Amino acid sequence: MTERATLGKEQVRELFRAYRTAGSPDEQAEAKDQLVNQHIGLVEFLARRFRNRGEPLEDLVQVGTIGLLKAIERFELDREVEFSTYATPTIVGELKRHFRDKGWAVRVPRRLQELHLELTKVVGHLGHDLGRSPTVAEIAKAAGTTEEAVLEGLEVAQAYNFTSLDAPIDTDDGGSTTFADQLGADDEHLENLEYRASLAPEMAKLPERERRILYLRFFKGMTQSEIADRLGISQMHVSRLLNRTLGQLREALEDT
Amino acid sequence: MVVPATPSYLQVLRLVAAGLASRLAFSIDEIEDLKIAVDEMSAYLTGSQGRDGTIEIAFEVDTSSITIRGTGRFEPGHKVRAGLTDFSKMILETVVDSASLEQSDGIPTFTLVKSKQLETT
Repeated sequence: MTERATLGKEQVRELFRAYRTAGSPDEQAEAKDQLVNQHIGLVEFLARRFRNRGEPLEDLVQVGTIGLLKAIERFELDREVEFSTYATPTIVGELKRHFRDKGWAVRVPRRLQELHLELTKVVGHLGHDLGRSPTVAEIAKAAGTTEEAVLEGLEVAQAYNFTSLDAPIDTDDGGSTTFADQLGADDEHLENLEYRASLAPEMAKLPERERRILYLRFFKGMTQSEIADRLGISQMHVSRLLNRTLGQLREALEDT
Repeated sequence: MVVPATPSYLQVLRLVAAGLASRLAFSIDEIEDLKIAVDEMSAYLTGSQGRDGTIEIAFEVDTSSITIRGTGRFEPGHKVRAGLTDFSKMILETVVDSASLEQSDGIPTFTLVKSKQLETT
């Protein structure tokens, strides 16, 4: 996290003046960068409000930053309102729109999208409260809906498209790990795989996070909920990534 | 249940399996595992492009476990590979209690069994 000095209202207005009246593109870009840096904390704060919906915080910050940039473009200096007050609804609007529209690979009815978001929250909360993976009946009760609706919602999750599939995974020590690093020499499973030769190149093509999920599920025997906790994403997100990855690998191995 | 041997019916099979498992109070994790197994075996039968023919699926539910049997009956010229890949076997070992595949006169039948592990009541 970089240190940011917080500017006062007048200094922010000064930056806007510099941005609007900049003599060169470089100066303008510089002023804009400062405006963004000055308000990225606000974006992070707002993005955090959406973090339990199954998407990584870093992606939400990116989406929120788009809202911030829009607000910077639209802000008029003769307004009395502070820029942060002005920008907040724009940033929140961008985040909401992201969940409603951009996230869905297949056009899914709004009702199911909302159910899905609700389920993501409920599954996470219940899992922590119960200390185990919840049942469908428990989820239905907590979400105030039927078991059928929950099952439908879980299946709908598979249509959800994530923009950040290639995002690097966070590791406990902050460093990056490769799949090879994660596979110890004692992994008999992999040693025994006669498909190692054809599987390894396919795995290498996968984004880091997918490889890690695959590894934790099938080589380390962690449940989807445990993986979700470890990676700081929702169980439904893990399910989605896992299903998708297995589908890809299955197809790739089909002709071998 | 008999469905065409095409991947587009996979989601239906997943939903049926999930619906039955939820009646047994399987946890979400267990249901997701069962769906992965259904995917794995059904994809083995249909291939990624589908085959001319049908898959006959039977679901058996007792008090704490679910058994799913699937038989592929294909037109001449549509064959499945001789067996599961080691990768498939490894996946299945992880997600269900038992998974087997038999071929009788060129007709493949898989059997999956998954029991409820966690006490949820």
